[in-house]
Amino acid sequence: MDLLLISEYIFLASLAIFIIAAVRIATRKTIAMGLVGVSALSIAVATILILINKIHGIGFCRDIAYALVLLGPVGTIAFAKVLKG
Amino acid sequence: MDPIIIIRSAILLISSILLLMSAMGILRFKDDVPRVLYARIHILGVADLACIIALLTLYEPLLAATYFILAPFAAHAIANAYYYGEEDHD
Repeated sequence: MDLLLISEYIFLASLAIFIIAAVRIATRKTIAMGLVGVSALSIAVATILILINKIHGIGFCRDIAYALVLLGPVGTIAFAKVLKG
Repeated sequence: MDPIIIIRSAILLISSILLLMSAMGILRFKDDVPRVLYARIHILGVADLACIIALLTLYEPLLAATYFILAPFAAHAIANAYYYGEEDHD
């Protein structure tokens, strides 16, 4: 195995740990904390999808990552506007 | 070995360390800390930057630039909603 592949797998593992932390934050009782958690979750999942695209060569993962990166913050902003009232 | 490969691997490892530190920081702050949401948004900025650097390393500059532009707006919207919102907070 080459060095880059090992680094990518290490980064994948740290993203998985970060996703566990993000889910724990997203399941707090306040709505704003849920927004923070979901915002963190969206970028982590998008990065994981890009890594899967690079490691295994699955093309549509890249498209899903693009959609997630575009729509994740837009959804967060829209829900925050509603929450603000 | 190609020096570009070594640099890319080092950047990915640094991003991993940043992500692990931010995950630890998010979980270490308890809910009874006053105004803990702002601290968590601040910590998530580190994780956002780690992901942006990693995306640049993985040759996805458009994705990284898009998130680099959108992430501050999302963080500001959350903080603004928490400050002016109807939820109970001190």
